[in-house]
Amino acid sequence: MNMSRPSLLLLSLTAVMALGLGGCATTSPEVSSGPVKYGDAKAVETVTNEFGSTDLQTIAESMARSMLQSRPVTQSRERPLVTIAEVKNKTSEYIDTRAITDSIRAQLLKSGAVRFAVDINAMQNQTDELIRQNQTGMYKKSKSKKIGQMEGADFRVEGNITSIVKRSSDIKDVYYKFSLMLVNVESGVIEWADEKEIRKTTTR
Amino acid sequence: MKRIHAASRYLAVVLAALLAGGCAGTMRSYDSELKQTVGMVSSGHVDQALQELEKNNSAADKDLLYYLEKGELLRLKSQLPESRDAWLLADEKVKIWEEEAKTSPEKLIGNIGSVLINDKTRRYDGQDYEKVMLSTRLALDHLALWNWDAARIEIKKTHEREAIIAELRAREVANVEEDAKQRKVKTEIKDLKGYPVETLDDPEVIALKNGYQSAFSHYLAGFVYEALNEPGLAAPGYRKAIELRPDVKWLEEGLKGLESRARKLKANESDVLIVVEAGSAPARSSVSVPIPVPYKNTWGAVPISFPVIKSDKSVFLPAQLNVDGKNTLSVYQITNIDAMARRALKDDMPGIVLRGTIRAITKTVAQKEAADRSAIAGLLTTIAAIATESADERVWRTLPSHILIARAILTSGRHTIGISGPFGTKTVTADVAGKHTIIPLRLMGSSLYATLPQYPSQLLASSEAVTAEPAATDTTNEAAKSAVKRKTLKQKAKTEPIKGVPQ
Repeated sequence: MNMSRPSLLLLSLTAVMALGLGGCATTSPEVSSGPVKYGDAKAVETVTNEFGSTDLQTIAESMARSMLQSRPVTQSRERPLVTIAEVKNKTSEYIDTRAITDSIRAQLLKSGAVRFAVDINAMQNQTDELIRQNQTGMYKKSKSKKIGQMEGADFRVEGNITSIVKRSSDIKDVYYKFSLMLVNVESGVIEWADEKEIRKTTTR
Repeated sequence: MKRIHAASRYLAVVLAALLAGGCAGTMRSYDSELKQTVGMVSSGHVDQALQELEKNNSAADKDLLYYLEKGELLRLKSQLPESRDAWLLADEKVKIWEEEAKTSPEKLIGNIGSVLINDKTRRYDGQDYEKVMLSTRLALDHLALWNWDAARIEIKKTHEREAIIAELRAREVANVEEDAKQRKVKTEIKDLKGYPVETLDDPEVIALKNGYQSAFSHYLAGFVYEALNEPGLAAPGYRKAIELRPDVKWLEEGLKGLESRARKLKANESDVLIVVEAGSAPARSSVSVPIPVPYKNTWGAVPISFPVIKSDKSVFLPAQLNVDGKNTLSVYQITNIDAMARRALKDDMPGIVLRGTIRAITKTVAQKEAADRSAIAGLLTTIAAIATESADERVWRTLPSHILIARAILTSGRHTIGISGPFGTKTVTADVAGKHTIIPLRLMGSSLYATLPQYPSQLLASSEAVTAEPAATDTTNEAAKSAVKRKTLKQKAKTEPIKGVPQ
């Protein structure tokens, strides 16, 4: 059976579209011995009123959106180079503030509006790598990255998270306030700041 | 009442079977078993203590307490990988409890066996403070083995475990209150005539926020997160420790210096946390209290056993340490496990009283109904009821009763740490390496044990072998023998690359 080139192309396109619309029909075998299920990572979590995944996502999304609309980002001629400084945890809860800043950074980078310089926590790995390439004698000189070429950040991001917890015999009320600011490294001017408040109340 | 009659018939059969066949768990006196073990450790004979523990746990199926005690004894011998492995097995058992607490808490809150016979028939899941201390002590083992990443996992587990406990206990309190109300049973300790209420109404016990959170666990969390350069997580660790022991003002230094400490540290200096553990956790013993029980328009009194904890006030707690024979370093008592154990009992008492009262009623009905059928059956049921009546004495006894800490900046290299007390002066020589180090010491009776860090060889490059030399007066005990073994540490030190290590 001979098929003309346009009809072959049409058939292929139809097949690709069908796969795209319906998804791949092959199902993976499931191994399960108990009531374990995958859930939506973005689902609203209210298991307890301690700091949870929904709070982290809400703060990161709100802060990234706000920063992307700020003047230093929208009106800069070149994509500004930013670094993350510390977000201080002023609560009594073990909140991983680095997980929040990682999420904010990922969303800002995905937007393409800003670039990030390695922060102080990643600096050791950065210098180790440069030293390895330049001082171990194992790399071609022409192919190794030069020492002294790192770029300094235009802005640094820093902030803090605080909380107020109140309890009575049947109510626990938690209020979180996450504050973030963008500081011009050269001038020391705070160019942008925003806050995100969250209130969670549990009644027994 | 129908429920009581059915239960009493069941109880009569069970009691008769127990009396005929015996039941190791029901009749076991944990206090008597461990008194000897703790005594051996206090006099420096850890090997004998381990043998005693094995002798008392000959069954193939080991319980949680066996692994808890074994991990502690092996730690005292500085057999750190073996201690860690024993505690990891204990942790597997606690994880089963945690899973049940999360998915079916009603299973843990109610248990008919304890109502009918005694609380020892309940599976031992560990006291709440023991579950928290298990992950804290596992973290200490990992730190001594210089595995900071594994220690971080245990530290994180500690606060997750505390949250599970808080949730379950809140439910349990509500359940006991509701059940007691329905059964018209009084669950207050003051209603138990003859019970030593003062042991639980001690100011040290009342001052605690609860029976499972310790300032030491949280301070250690602060220290580990700080060492791993995670100040956002270190701050709540130090803050929680301050909240739990607001009377120890020195704890505030941990939080105040968090931002500047690492910057001020010179290349040859180390931030050293010295942990001094003293004594052994208090025993639970039984006290018999008569419970008034109504039966067919009359009242009788049934003796029911309740657990009691008597505090050991004789434990020596040093106020100062001597470093290198010249500098004195203040050491602060931040965790009192003796008081935590009593607080845990105080919080458990309403449930224990409720179960004891139901048991008293059930036993009375069983005895009377058996006696109505035949005098011999009645007598046998009464004997069995008395024989099986004893409180649950199970607790992790080799756990320290008090934890003290001191913190100092020391130069890398060898240092001598001395403790003076009624036993004279005991010294430990330890090498300090890396930017952060933890040196745990344990005072038990007249013996001083040191669980010194087993540094990777890279860190030891500028230091001599890690040694721990007990005082001259202490050379006959096992602390001295294990110290000699530790002299070979340098040869045994790991050679693989260090990951996630504060250097």
